[in-house]
Amino acid sequence: MDFQLPDYNLRLMLPEIFLFLWALVVITFDVVTKRKSESAAGYLSLLGLLITGGILSFTGYGRGFGTMFFSDPMALFFKVIFLGSAFMAIGSSFGITKQKIVNHRGEFFGLILFSTVGMMFLASSQELLSLYIGLELTTIPLFVLAGFFKDNKLSVEAAMKYFIIGAFSSALLIYGISFLYGLSGTTDILQMKINLAITHLTFKNIGVTLLLSIILVIAGIGFKLSLPPFHQWTPDVYEGSPTPIAAFLSVGSKAAGLVAFAKIFVNGLSAFYGPEMLPNDWGKLVATLAVLAMIIGNTVAIRQTNIKRMLAYSSIAQVGYIMIGMVAMNELGLSSVAFYAFAYMFANMGAFAVVAIFEDKTGLTQISSYAGLSKSSPLLAASMAVFLLSLAGIPPLAGFMAKYYVFAAAIKTAGSSASSSWLYWLVGVGMLTAVFSLYYYANVIKEMYFSKETSPYRVKFSAPALMVVCLGLIGVFLLGLYPEPIMRFASDISASFGFIPN
Amino acid sequence: MKGFYVAPYLSILIFIVIGIGLVLFTFFLARLIRPSHPYPAKTINYECAELPIGDSWIQFNPRFYIFALIFVIFDVEAVFLFPWAVAFGQLGLYALIEMVIFILILFYGLYYAWKQGVLKWV
Repeated sequence: MDFQLPDYNLRLMLPEIFLFLWALVVITFDVVTKRKSESAAGYLSLLGLLITGGILSFTGYGRGFGTMFFSDPMALFFKVIFLGSAFMAIGSSFGITKQKIVNHRGEFFGLILFSTVGMMFLASSQELLSLYIGLELTTIPLFVLAGFFKDNKLSVEAAMKYFIIGAFSSALLIYGISFLYGLSGTTDILQMKINLAITHLTFKNIGVTLLLSIILVIAGIGFKLSLPPFHQWTPDVYEGSPTPIAAFLSVGSKAAGLVAFAKIFVNGLSAFYGPEMLPNDWGKLVATLAVLAMIIGNTVAIRQTNIKRMLAYSSIAQVGYIMIGMVAMNELGLSSVAFYAFAYMFANMGAFAVVAIFEDKTGLTQISSYAGLSKSSPLLAASMAVFLLSLAGIPPLAGFMAKYYVFAAAIKTAGSSASSSWLYWLVGVGMLTAVFSLYYYANVIKEMYFSKETSPYRVKFSAPALMVVCLGLIGVFLLGLYPEPIMRFASDISASFGFIPN
Repeated sequence: MKGFYVAPYLSILIFIVIGIGLVLFTFFLARLIRPSHPYPAKTINYECAELPIGDSWIQFNPRFYIFALIFVIFDVEAVFLFPWAVAFGQLGLYALIEMVIFILILFYGLYYAWKQGVLKWV
């Protein structure tokens, strides 16, 4: 038997390989240097992320490992998001590594880097099993990171919940993937797309099995995305885990879920979209979950008194908005999703960074403890206000442009044919719930600015934390005022998925 | 062609039903024809095991876990080494380099554990 090696094209995988090796170095760094330096491991991992970004910018497009590893516009765009969110998460965790995690700093940063490597692999994989492995490499380090405060009951509870839910959802996902494999005879997503269409045309009756696999895959990825009704773990895990990890979960891990969703549904199952594909129309199913996400996220967030829980529900709602772009299925759809994820990264990582800085100083996460913060530490309060307003979608900030593109994508499809006019309802719910969301975001701003008392806490920025907040502010303003360059780059994503503007 | 894709699984379902039914049936049959005469000596372990001493829910040293984990790493390595060795003739130098990288990564893990002082039994 003559064995033909596939065309590896390892050059495309260079960023992942580099970051993986760097993570190995970071993880042993503290042990080897006998924990002499407080923040050297952190700076080392920030440097590693920067170098990886540099390598990524020279990578270019192409495919390797046969058809398993694609370096396409989507992969590159989302890899930038993963690196960015890891950068901001690490930058805002210098406080806790100084105070609480004294013995395992290297491991803390190293695990964040490993999780980032997993996300990057996932973004590039064009094959269901390597996609699954990427998703596992993303989540398994996060189980450990969620429980990094070993003496804190809430943190341990968060890790336990996240572990059980994560393992369960992975099982559902791989079960759904096995059905997809059974129906199409391949795990290659592009081949699966063709095979499924042929099978559908030949047999006319793959309904039940396909529906089952669609539901299982939506459930599996829905847990990662915290898309209702699979969102119950989110507030508990965000509340218990270290704040930078909660931020990383809400941005990095979610963006990874979005990539997996786009690859399986928008690409692999794109033939099963639309009313003539009943009962296999995944579009309406996902749209229903998006409506649930927007309503549950935005209404329950109003009642929260803990800022981390509030941001958890807000992140559930934000996933609902992103899903509007996902079901739009036109040349603006995926681009708006990518843009939303990018804008959301700056605003949400920034908001969590402020929460982390405040928590390092005071140990408090109650919204009421932010009262009068604008008088004692005006810079912190102002940046928090900017991030929250961006999350709410107030112009001229990034969140507004992101919501605008997502809604525009859906309206464009809705107007194209009578059978997709239900998308108008989706946009309507999105706009209405965005108004609700302003209430709880503004509530925090009200506490900070319009409280009569002056906050007793004078919070100073450390250098890395200041860098993270500045990065967030620059991103939020730049994407809001001048979104064209990023949007132009993002429009390549839709084009590479076959949505060509007419 | 209706139900074409699910049809092969029907035989599995039938097997499951028959499998469960057979066991239940034999138990039922045995119950019908056997004499009923329970006494205490019947319930002890007859040539199966020692009589247990104390409770099995006791605390033991967590170091066992870490040793077991490190063992598992090299256990899994062996699992990967066997198929590699079988296919080595066809794969050539490329596979050798790949396996060296794989083992180096695993040994790096051992090095980390060593430096952490995990291997010392205090």
